[in-house]
Parts: sequence; structure tokens; C-alpha cells
Amino acid sequence: MWMKKNYALNCEGNLHHSIVARQGGRVRVQISEDSEPVDVDFQPVLGGKAVSVRVGGRLHLIHLTGTNSKGAVSASLDGRPVQLTVMDELRAQALESMGDVAGGGTITADIPGLVVELRASVGQKVHQGEPVIVVEAMKMQNELAAAVSGTVTEIPVTEGQSVNPGDVLVIIEPEPGG
Amino acid sequence: MSVRKFKKVLVANRGEIAVRIMQGLQEMGIEAIAVYSDVDRTALHVLMADEAVAIGSAPATESYLVGEKIIAAALKTGAEGIHPGYGFLAENGPFAQAVEDAGLVFIGPKAETMALMGDKLSARRKMRASGVPVVPGTDEAVSDPDIATGIADEIGYPVLLKAAAGGGGKGMRIVRGASEMASALRQTMGEARNSFGNDAVFVEKYIEDPKHIEVQVLGDGQGQAIHVFERECSVQRRHQKVIEESPSPSLSPELREEICQAAVRTAEAVSYRGAGTVEFILTPGGEFYFLEMNTRLQVEHPVTELVTGTDLVRAMVRIAQGEGLCYRQEQLEQRGWALEFRLYAEDPGRGFAPSIGRILSLTAPHGPGVRLDTGVYEGFDVPIHYDPMLAKLIVWGEDREQAIARSLRALREFVLHGPVHNLPFHIWALQQPAFMDGSYTTHFVENEFDPDNYLPELSENQSQALVAAAALFEALRRAESEVSPAENRKCPASNWRRNALRRMTNNQ
Repeated sequence: MWMKKNYALNCEGNLHHSIVARQGGRVRVQISEDSEPVDVDFQPVLGGKAVSVRVGGRLHLIHLTGTNSKGAVSASLDGRPVQLTVMDELRAQALESMGDVAGGGTITADIPGLVVELRASVGQKVHQGEPVIVVEAMKMQNELAAAVSGTVTEIPVTEGQSVNPGDVLVIIEPEPGG
Repeated sequence: MSVRKFKKVLVANRGEIAVRIMQGLQEMGIEAIAVYSDVDRTALHVLMADEAVAIGSAPATESYLVGEKIIAAALKTGAEGIHPGYGFLAENGPFAQAVEDAGLVFIGPKAETMALMGDKLSARRKMRASGVPVVPGTDEAVSDPDIATGIADEIGYPVLLKAAAGGGGKGMRIVRGASEMASALRQTMGEARNSFGNDAVFVEKYIEDPKHIEVQVLGDGQGQAIHVFERECSVQRRHQKVIEESPSPSLSPELREEICQAAVRTAEAVSYRGAGTVEFILTPGGEFYFLEMNTRLQVEHPVTELVTGTDLVRAMVRIAQGEGLCYRQEQLEQRGWALEFRLYAEDPGRGFAPSIGRILSLTAPHGPGVRLDTGVYEGFDVPIHYDPMLAKLIVWGEDREQAIARSLRALREFVLHGPVHNLPFHIWALQQPAFMDGSYTTHFVENEFDPDNYLPELSENQSQALVAAAALFEALRRAESEVSPAENRKCPASNWRRNALRRMTNNQ
């Protein structure tokens, strides 16, 4: 009897609802619910760092590294990195309702770096495009500009502080209608 | 000059270059001493050293850039010489002087040569006086935007703002119009101050569609110098080289001879000691101008080594030991072709923004003609504080065509997971017509590179394999994490993993 399990997969932005079926040593994969099942010869190799996969007579060595609990996987084949997320359908549904919180007046770090200079202070009015903070990363100084015109309400970092991607650097209350 | 052989040498650097120098020293029977900052205790250069000395906290200004701590480490461990590598203190004249004043040998040029050549302004004046052509521009520093704008108006836009103490592509900005001048000058001076401790900036005519050609030289410090042929380094992003090759596909034999002789004259004019590089800019019309002299071992020195069969680190050490030049000019020739690819932790798809993190998986390429100079290993956390270059892949072939084909093969074998990196960029670059026919200029990346479209299309078969692999990988991971803690304690993880694999692939 074939044992089936459903997975939610995102490969390079393309969503798949895939089904993996197993019986004895045989593995069949349906890439999407409406596609034909294909036989897959699958061997974990290199101490679990890669898999050797044979599909339709072609062999592929795919390196895979699981990176987080949300199913993100670093994958590559023939020197090409591939964006993959994979999780079983039940977990995928549970996570689906979670959304992002974002504000146009919030400047966040997009790379790790060091705050070298604050060009604005709390309470100051700034214009869209005006540099408000300088972050140095790998010896490059990057001026980050206000995305909106408004008043600086919060600067949760100080000069000399290390910051990580996603850290909030400056919060600007947008001008009404601005 | 008497010969004095080293027993111990301290390497004042980190990353791949510290590793490469230590390999050279250990091959010569010389003990290698490492220095390291707090975050580098487990870095590769420390792991392979014979001795290692902690020199301070992570920021380079508190460790790798503090000359006194490095000299103290050398004296404490009984090292007789210091090799500076590139970057950090490699072109710092006062440091070289302090090393010699402490009774140690600085494995590199004399402090006075560095002072002369390290300051791009005095180098320009010296070359102008020696009859070597230089790029039109100022011979004095400029800090007032109005004066800078005035000079730019005179020589014509675009101009390049350059830190007099700069190098490695840092502290440079193109200015295309007067409105950009004030902000560009302020940022360049800020970068220059932070990176080099000297905010002197000058203005130079920006040459359109140039090629970057440089010549490796060796000098004995007594006025005799030889060249080890040229390298071409025109594939750059943010004025920083990413691919280098030797020979240059752009030089006729006559032009090669002319440019190499100009480099020898440059080195002899300053009684150069050790390994150095004379950089030239080559215009589309075939004119060349002196750009600067790098008074250090270059990042891209391995392409020269592969094409000429030399060992430049060994040559530097032997010159420092008083053995003189180890080669005669007529012994040196170029054989075959070599390409170097700098592996940076950066995202080509997002403006080459730096990336950091743990190296989760690393499989290096092997096989004919492949050399890897690396400073990292699987499991290493790439620190935020330093240059994001992780390694260099250097490939040799009998001719340029084979070198390119072999490079593609090696790059496709190279696996690195963890930080985002630029190996896919290199695979893209090698397949561009402008690279393949050798006509590329320093604008290659900005003209040809599309960050949204540089990865090859996946075939349907590849997509099927990926989806299957991902689903099966996830099934395997779930199976592993569902093992009970008690069972986990009983069996070593590796055993359990093996069993899980067997169950998955055979027994169900």
C-alpha cells in the first residue's frame, strides 16, 4: 500500500502542493496535485548534506541545508542557488494567517552593520530623501534616507551600535497628507 | 648583504591571505605565528598557526590595525620578521618603520617607499617627474566642495574623487555633475578617515571605458627590479576587482613589453624591495597611464604564480632574508592562462550587499588546474567586522578557452550554503560575450549585469528533482525531529540519522 503525505512547497516563487508516496523502497512524487506521479530514485549522500536524485533518467546532485523552522531550505545544483521553502500542509495552513507589520516611516537595517552617524534627532522634522542615519558595513558607509517627510519620533539606536537586518533604526511620523 | 634565515615569522593578518602566507612559511620550514582578535580564535589562520597571540577586540582598530600590539606579539614569541599580507597595516609606512626600529624585519618594502607610493599624491608627482604618464588631475588634496567643483569644471566631468591613502577600491567615488560634489566629497572623506585614518582626497579625470592592467614586480631594495608580467583586473563592482586574469587578453606583445618595462622603471626609481604591483589604466585607444603602485602582495597574486610557475610569498621571504631576487628576468615567461574568482559573502541580486552568517555547508572544487585559497571552513561564523571576501578560486588552463571552461566546471562544483555569495555571479560573467572575447572593460558589471536575471533557468527536469528532493528532505527532517528525547539520549545522533535514512529509502 502506498503511504502518501502532502507538502506545501515554494520553489523560486512557484507554489506547489506536492504529494510524496512511498511503498517499500519505492518513492513516487507528484509535483502538483494535478500532475502525474513520477518515480524518483533518492539517495541521501555526503553525510546528509546532499541528495542524489534521479528523475526521468537524469541524475542530479542537490545540496540541501535546512535553515529555519519555517521550512526555508538552502538548495543548490550545478552552482545555482535555489530558493525553496517546504513544509507539510498542516503546518503551512497554521502559519498562513500570520501577516507582516510594516510602516512607511520606519527605517530598518537591511544588512548587518555599525551605526556611525545619526543625522537627525527625535522631534526633528525631516524631508523625504534626506539622509538621517549612516550605517557602515564591511567598510562601506551607507546613508539611509527618510522614505517619507515627517517628524522623527524615535531613534532606538545610538552611534557605535551594531545592528542586524530588520532592526529598527529610525521611526518617522509621516506628515498628514505627506 | 648577508643572508639571515628566519626561524619564526609573524603574519599580521587574517583570512585567506594569512593562511596562504603561513602555508608558504611552513613549506620553507619557518614557524608561522598568528595574531587574532576576540572573534577570530577559531578562524582558519589561527587553527593552522604554530603559535597564536590574542591582540584585542573585534574592531580592527582595536586589534589588526594596532601596530604596537602586533610588534609586542612578535617580540614575545621570538619572531624575527613580520609579513603584513594585504590591507590592514600592509601599506602603513610608520608601522613598517616601527617594526624595523624594534629590531625585526618587515617583509615588504621600505617605510620610505610606502610613504611615497602609499600617498597617491606624492606617487603622482614622483611618476610625473620620472616621465611615466599619469591621469590628468590634481597633485594636491581638496576638501572644499567649491574648489573641487572648480577643478572638475576645468578637466571636465565625470571626475573621480579618490582618497590619497586609499586602496582596495575603498574611498573612491565618481562624480558626474556639480550637484553631486558636496555629498560625494563628504562621504569619500568620511570613508577615508574611517578606513585609512587620513581624509585627504584628490580629484582625477575619470577615464571612460578603461581597462585595468597591472604589472607584478620584484625588487631587491638595492635598485634592481624585474617584472613577473601583467594581470588584467577589469571585472569590478564598486571599483573593487572580482575576477582577474593573466595574461591580459588586451595587450599585444609590443604593448606588453612597453607596459612591463614602465613598471620595472617605476620599481627601480624607488629602489623597491619585495613584491609590488604597478597599476595602469589602459584607454580604448591603447594609451596607458600610471594609476598607483601597491606596495604589498596583491589579492590576485596567485594568477601570476600559476602562469609563471613562481611563488611570490617565498620570493618575498627570500628577499627579506637578504638572498636577493630569486629569479632572473630571462627565466620568467608566461605559460597558459589563469583566472581568479573572488568569493565574496555578498548578494549580487541586491547591489552586492554584504552578507554574513555561519557557513552551513561547504564543498570545494577539485581536479586539474584548480587552486583554492580559503580563509573559511564549514561551521565557521563569518564575522561582521572585516572584509567579506571568504576565499579565492584560481584556475589554470593551457589557453584562455580551456581556463574559462575549466573555471565553469569548478564553479559549478563549488557548494557554499549559509551567507549569500557571488559564485553564481562568476558563472554568469564567464558566459557573457564581452568576457569570452576579452573586450570587457571596468564597466562590464554596470553595463551587462541584470540583478533580476543572472541565474540560469531551471529545466523542467531540474524543477522536478528539486521539488522531490525538498519534499523528501522535509520528510526526513520531520522523521528525525519526531524521535523522543529519551531515544535521542540513548543513541548518538549520527546513528539515529543513519537509521532514519535507511527507513526512509528502504524499509517502508
